[in-house]
Amino acid sequence: MFDLIVTLIPVFPLLAVLANGLNVMLGHRYSHEIAHRLAWGSVLLSFLCSVWVLGQTLGHPEPRTVVAYRWFFGADLTVNLSFLIDPLTCIMLLVVTGVGFLIHVYSVGYMHGEEGFTRFFAYMNLFMVSMLLLVMGSNYVVLFIGWEGVGLCSYLLIGYYYDRVSAAKAATKAFVVNRIGDAGFLLAIFLVFANFGTLEYTEIFARAGQLDSAAAFSIAICLLIGAVGKSAQLPLHTWLPDAMEGPTPVSALIHAATMVTAGVYMVVRNHAIYDLAPDALLIVGVVGGVTALFAATIGLVQTDIKRVLAYSTVSQLGFMFLACGVGAYVAAIFHLVTHAFFKALLFLSAGSVIHALSGEQDIRRMGGLWSKIPKTHGVFLVGTAAIAGFPFLSGWWSKDEILGHAFVHGHYVLWALGATAAFCTAFYMSRLLYVTFYGESRVAHEVEHHIHESPNVMVYPLLVLAFLSVVGGLIGVIPGGLENGWFHQFLQPVVRSAGAGGEAAHEEGHLLVYILMAVTTLIGVAGWFTAHYFYKLKPEQPDLLMNRMKGAYTLILNKYWVDEAYDKAFVEPGKAVGRSFDKADTAGIDRVVVAVEQVTDLSAAGSTWVEKHVIYGGLNVTGYANHLAARVLRRLQSGLVHHYAAILVAGLVVLVNLIVLFLWLGGAS
Amino acid sequence: MTIVSTADLLAILPELLVMAGGCLVLVLDPLTAKDRKDWLAYFSLAVLGAAFVVGYWFMGALTGSPRPAFSGLYVLDAYGAFWKLLLILVSGLVILLAKAHLKLEEIDLPEFYAFILLSLSGMMVMVSGTDLLVIYLGLELMSLSLYVMAGFKRYAPRSLEAAAKYFILGSFSSGILLYGISLLFGRTGSTTLAGIRDGIAGLPPGDPILLMAMGLLVVGFGFKVAAVPFHMWTPDVYEGSPTSVTAYMAVASKAASFAAFLRVFLEALGGIKESWRMLLVAVCIATMVLGNVVAIVQTNIKRMLAYSSIAHAGYALIGLVVADAAGTASVMLYLAIYAFMNLGAFAVVTMLRRGGLEGDEIDDFTGLARRNKWAALVMLLFMFSLAGIPPTAGFIAKFYIFMAAVGANMTGLAVIAVVFAAISAYFYLRVVMVMYMKEPGETAGTPGYDVRVVASPAAIAVLLVAALGVLILGVFPDPLIQAAQSAILPLK
Amino acid sequence: MVPIFFAYFALVSIVAGLLTVSLRNPVHCGIALLALLGHVAGLFVLLHAEFVAVVQIIIYAGAILILYLFVLMLLNLKTEERYFHRRHAWYITGVGALTVELLMVLLASRFSGAKGPATVAAVEEIGNSTAIGILMFSDYLLPFEIVGVFLLGAIVGAIVLAKTPSPADLSGDER
Repeated sequence: MFDLIVTLIPVFPLLAVLANGLNVMLGHRYSHEIAHRLAWGSVLLSFLCSVWVLGQTLGHPEPRTVVAYRWFFGADLTVNLSFLIDPLTCIMLLVVTGVGFLIHVYSVGYMHGEEGFTRFFAYMNLFMVSMLLLVMGSNYVVLFIGWEGVGLCSYLLIGYYYDRVSAAKAATKAFVVNRIGDAGFLLAIFLVFANFGTLEYTEIFARAGQLDSAAAFSIAICLLIGAVGKSAQLPLHTWLPDAMEGPTPVSALIHAATMVTAGVYMVVRNHAIYDLAPDALLIVGVVGGVTALFAATIGLVQTDIKRVLAYSTVSQLGFMFLACGVGAYVAAIFHLVTHAFFKALLFLSAGSVIHALSGEQDIRRMGGLWSKIPKTHGVFLVGTAAIAGFPFLSGWWSKDEILGHAFVHGHYVLWALGATAAFCTAFYMSRLLYVTFYGESRVAHEVEHHIHESPNVMVYPLLVLAFLSVVGGLIGVIPGGLENGWFHQFLQPVVRSAGAGGEAAHEEGHLLVYILMAVTTLIGVAGWFTAHYFYKLKPEQPDLLMNRMKGAYTLILNKYWVDEAYDKAFVEPGKAVGRSFDKADTAGIDRVVVAVEQVTDLSAAGSTWVEKHVIYGGLNVTGYANHLAARVLRRLQSGLVHHYAAILVAGLVVLVNLIVLFLWLGGAS
Repeated sequence: MTIVSTADLLAILPELLVMAGGCLVLVLDPLTAKDRKDWLAYFSLAVLGAAFVVGYWFMGALTGSPRPAFSGLYVLDAYGAFWKLLLILVSGLVILLAKAHLKLEEIDLPEFYAFILLSLSGMMVMVSGTDLLVIYLGLELMSLSLYVMAGFKRYAPRSLEAAAKYFILGSFSSGILLYGISLLFGRTGSTTLAGIRDGIAGLPPGDPILLMAMGLLVVGFGFKVAAVPFHMWTPDVYEGSPTSVTAYMAVASKAASFAAFLRVFLEALGGIKESWRMLLVAVCIATMVLGNVVAIVQTNIKRMLAYSSIAHAGYALIGLVVADAAGTASVMLYLAIYAFMNLGAFAVVTMLRRGGLEGDEIDDFTGLARRNKWAALVMLLFMFSLAGIPPTAGFIAKFYIFMAAVGANMTGLAVIAVVFAAISAYFYLRVVMVMYMKEPGETAGTPGYDVRVVASPAAIAVLLVAALGVLILGVFPDPLIQAAQSAILPLK
Repeated sequence: MVPIFFAYFALVSIVAGLLTVSLRNPVHCGIALLALLGHVAGLFVLLHAEFVAVVQIIIYAGAILILYLFVLMLLNLKTEERYFHRRHAWYITGVGALTVELLMVLLASRFSGAKGPATVAAVEEIGNSTAIGILMFSDYLLPFEIVGVFLLGAIVGAIVLAKTPSPADLSGDER
């Protein structure tokens, strides 16, 4: 029973993919109505199964493995398609299927009337399948398949609006950057196999202690490369803001709530290895802290509503990495959960704004919307308060916990980075709120009278997410008190080996923790007040400041020129190398070829004369021979063949040199 | 002196069937009416079917017990049987593909089927020969047929150019190979693999002539598998040849050459493994780097696939460099899977027509998803598989070969391979991008204008087999892995 | 006496070989090739491999080279020869460099080394045409038959490629 239900979780969306996919390929045999019902219905079923599995796991938190089928096994390698059910998996399952379900429902309204409606849902469900494999897999290969699968769906969905050139470019960029991360991950898998001879988590983590520190460090770093790619951390963060080219529900589901958090999940899942490599763990923390601040500063000046949120996502993911880096794995997952709630809420309500404004995304052409779309305004306000760290909302609990851990464990620099990022977060989110919803309306006239509140099918998911954003943090407090809530008690067995690191925060004495909470709350309020001052009290101030600090402003507005630097440093040289190799390979002697071509034409005329006057008058046999020879020789003389043969000989010379230098002389000496 | 026995003849039964079939096609060709030439294709398929059945029976009967034939020049073993089955299957698919494609390209030459069969018989000899002379003759028989087939598009100068280039360079490399064989013979007094192995055992380590012979063999085989720097012919020949022939070269000839490469180096030169390993590591890295980097800037899909096939030769060479049981099995697995995905990709190219021509530019794929969903979908599948993205078979192939490298403590090589495999996603994805994320051009001169997909039942069958192969081997790779592992060469 | 003949045949072979690829007039190349083949046949005689020597003369010099010359004569040599061997300098340099390296390696390897089983007496025994014939139809029957198939393929291939394309073919693209 347990095995069956666990297996069914990814199977439901898979069936929906097959049905909707076939429907698309066979020319739309059934209507959009059936297509979307299949899509969200399957996710709902998965969600219900996940809840049931959670109920089963509450009793016994020890991990259970469910083998779906034996996949491939060689002499010394067995890989099964199998699932690992433990508290961490349960939490991830609930987040993925729960938030996923709400976003599916929302999409029904948002995507209404779009071309490729069924295709969209097929991709979305395919994403759900991959994401479920990712979080449920009991070994690295299943994780990797889910990992690649989500990347693939992300690629397909970013490029969904195929009529936009930028969408296709963004999709390719996302995929290629992700592949760089994946290469690191794949190497980590190989290293794990080389060290343990198996790829099953339970066996590996049970024997993790036998790993020497150098091996642990290299595995941890390779895993980190994978996580950095998927979770858009420095220096592989550039793809995520561009990924906003996809439809907004996609941004909410894939590029905010679930897929991008896969890196955090992976680090937490592998904490046994990270615990053996403190240096690698520190690097995780530094990457997270720097990314958190870096992305937050870019968020300060962006003018596209979705891009602000995208940088905010990068920044919040940085917080989660920071938490992992200081050993606060539970806090990382806690923030992952609350972030899924409020970031999905923010994206979806931003989508509602965009929907209301007929596709406008530039906040400079918004303003004064609060009275026109009151429901959207309400939920957006809740989301902003949650992410900015308004007391007692979900984001406040989790962010405080992360910063508290950083401070208590003595990572004062990381704490400072995080606190500054938190200030920026409060500022840019409040700014977004003010510029979008308050003040004068700057909406274009032709758009103005089309403004309408979104249909209920979009609003209800927003309300549910708003509710979760408000109360979601309480699972971390009730019943055990601060940092000892249900959530922590439930997850503690998973990260038990983290030892003291996981629990030290509240042992340090509550006073320090309360002071830190007060400090971060003040920081949040300060961020809000700065925005209030700039955008409400003195609306002319931002422009003044902008003019005064032109250099810094341009730097940030252009995202520190990281994209351009990558283009110059990698993409262009790469293409140049390719081109020059290509030239050397084919066209290096173009000029000679052209010259030879001309001569060849002459000779062709000559041999045509021969053909006419000699061959057809002569013996057929010689005619054949000549014809063949002429045709063949004509091309031989293009010079290319000699050139190629020469390269072949050059290769031979190199090999002979290698032999002489290394093998023979080396062997003789 | 031994006289040929019935057992010997039985040992080459599949080869005999294929050779006789090839000759019969030549005889039957003038006897068939002009509008019935398709029957020759069906006849060839029947021959292949018979050979497949016999080969399959051998495979089952032979696991673990090689039987020498023809006084040690030939062997009947599971290793050879595995490759033969793969090659017969590929040949059958190419015949099906060509049946429609030759008509589209207005190539009115039923000799095509005869050459496929002759070439196949050469490959079968290559994979089972245990004497360098026999292997060399098989290789020449294979190559000769390919030289001719490359020039089958007689009205197109590019095709003739491809044939001539392939011929000249192929002969050149054969000469080098022969030189290596003669040096080996001179040093060890034998041309059989077993005799050479024994001869090497009696030589002092680091014998210069032996090393030189090994270097020359690397060049000869490196040319046939298109390894850098012996790859120069590949893009030109792949681009110029009729696409169905290109598919055959890229898949079958590469597989057969790898089979012989492996057998010669592991069985005959296993004693100086450390020496050739160093050379091949250099070749292998150069091949992966150049293949993947140059593929990025190609605009012609056949050239792109040519560089991609160079890169894949680089990955497969890893298995040879590893030179243990896992390495051998992973090469077999790799080339079997590679056969499906590459054949599929070329099959899609054969079906694409731009005006009256073959649509072989990447631009011709623009907006294909809107013109023909199925063609775009299978192409997407093949591109993903070539890029090694799970759950396609390409992932399994790469996974196994990289795993073999890590298992043999060659992590550095695995790192390079993984990085370049990641880079390769860029150019495979570009095809997917133009198919799915662009609109087909509506006016003359824009990409994708006037492109249509000509689907014949035979070509659809090929695509179906290839696509199912890529999917099924990705999800249920186990039977193939088992087959490869039970058919590896006994390592000495 | 034998070393002198060996030196003569070997040196002339090398010179003739170089001339074959470096002369500008194709007919001269053909004649240089003839000299090369003849002297290599001489080397075979020195090794008591008379059969191979005779085969070398009859087939290469007698048949193949004559065919080459036929083809060359039927082509319009006046225009061909102007560009036939134009950019070979560096290519020949490459080959030369390789040759020098090979020579270095071979000489340095103290060629005498361990001798194989192929003594003069042994070659005389297995090198005569009777012995070769018997071997070819017993132990080496398989390669012999493969060569048969190979030649069939070569003949058919030559015919297929040289066959004048039908009008239907010519109406196709001329890319």
